[in-house]
Amino acid sequence: MKHLSYPSLVQQLTVSLLLLTAFGCETNTEVDTAQQVQGLRPVYASYEDVRTIETLEPQPLKNPGKIYIKGGYLFINEQGRGVHIIDNSNPAKPQKISFVSVPGNIDMAVKDQVLYVDNSVDLVALDIADPRQVTVLKRIKDAYPYPSYPSQRGVPFECADPEKGVVVRWETARLTNPKCFR
Amino acid sequence: MKSYLYGILIGLTALTGCSELANKDSGTINPGGGSGTGGSMARFAIAGNHLYVVNQHSLQVYDIQQSDNPSSLGKTSLGFGVETIFPYNNHLFIGTQTGMYIMNLNNPAKPQQTALYRHIFSCDPVVAQGNYAYVTLRSGTSCNTGPNRLEVVDISNLEYPVQVNSIPMINPHGLGIDGNLLFVSEGDSGLKVFDATDPVDLKLIKTFNDIRSYDVIPNRSVLIVTGKDGIFQYRYDSSQRLTLLSKLPIEN
Repeated sequence: MKHLSYPSLVQQLTVSLLLLTAFGCETNTEVDTAQQVQGLRPVYASYEDVRTIETLEPQPLKNPGKIYIKGGYLFINEQGRGVHIIDNSNPAKPQKISFVSVPGNIDMAVKDQVLYVDNSVDLVALDIADPRQVTVLKRIKDAYPYPSYPSQRGVPFECADPEKGVVVRWETARLTNPKCFR
Repeated sequence: MKSYLYGILIGLTALTGCSELANKDSGTINPGGGSGTGGSMARFAIAGNHLYVVNQHSLQVYDIQQSDNPSSLGKTSLGFGVETIFPYNNHLFIGTQTGMYIMNLNNPAKPQQTALYRHIFSCDPVVAQGNYAYVTLRSGTSCNTGPNRLEVVDISNLEYPVQVNSIPMINPHGLGIDGNLLFVSEGDSGLKVFDATDPVDLKLIKTFNDIRSYDVIPNRSVLIVTGKDGIFQYRYDSSQRLTLLSKLPIEN
């Protein structure tokens, strides 16, 4: 009987472990480590810097993310940095028009002459009637949850502090007694 | 009656997909009215006068009737690991790590769940056309160790989505369909093109190993591919060939 119940115990353990891996990391859990460990540390930017949106000259394409089309325009996300606006009326000869610097940007959509972007924790509506001079129409603050944990799993990290600004990325560091783990 | 309507819909989709005549606004640079088109990896979707935004756990709705003045209408919680959103036929198809939600927009301010198509824990963008939805499942760091495959789901009854096909993949990301051509990004492993004339029996036409792709938008005979090597645009037609039109390369 004992032999029979053994595998089911292992199964149960495996299942709970899997569940833990899957669900356990959605919230930060406190850990108690006494010594220095390798982990991740948040790199902050001030809310003011993050909330600065400006139209620049065309910029080099370095790390393209999502794409969006509207009329003759092609919008290309530069991951975490903003949006390249392209005149794509001739797909054989796409022409860069401008770059809209939007810190933390990953997503976009367009209705009429308005470009909606995520700008770190905010959602922003931009007037693109003149793509060389994009202006902010409306900013909805804190539309997104504060980025309190890294995307990597199974790492200890220094807990993020919203008072210090917005987390723009995570860097590897030697941490003393990190309180957070994901 | 329903299948008759779907028939018309497929016909229309095929028409807009292939007709050069429909190319009316590509010659102008003005964004004009209405909304545009995103890829399958999008987390933003516009349907009518509403903007839908998904993040990790929820679906947020904004009223954009006045496009210059979006206002929040509240949010709906959705399991966890929400990945992508695709608007189709008065519904939202939302890819999460545990399954695909089909939400109806009968009340656009408050989308209601019509069905949840469950699948193995994985990342999963989705697109739909006619009676079928196409879902890619991908494993990866943030998605743990799910399978890598393409699933075809019969959505002729949106309340009862049924899997009708499953094809092993390498590292599938975004996908797009136009008419009978289905394009699937395979990450660093290239781009696959399927003949989707019969979605239950997809036929691989070709694998482009050299096109590293993250997402695609097929629109009016032009396929736009985004990936690590830049933005590539191809012309496609019934001959099922891809002809390179242009590229915006990575500049370092």
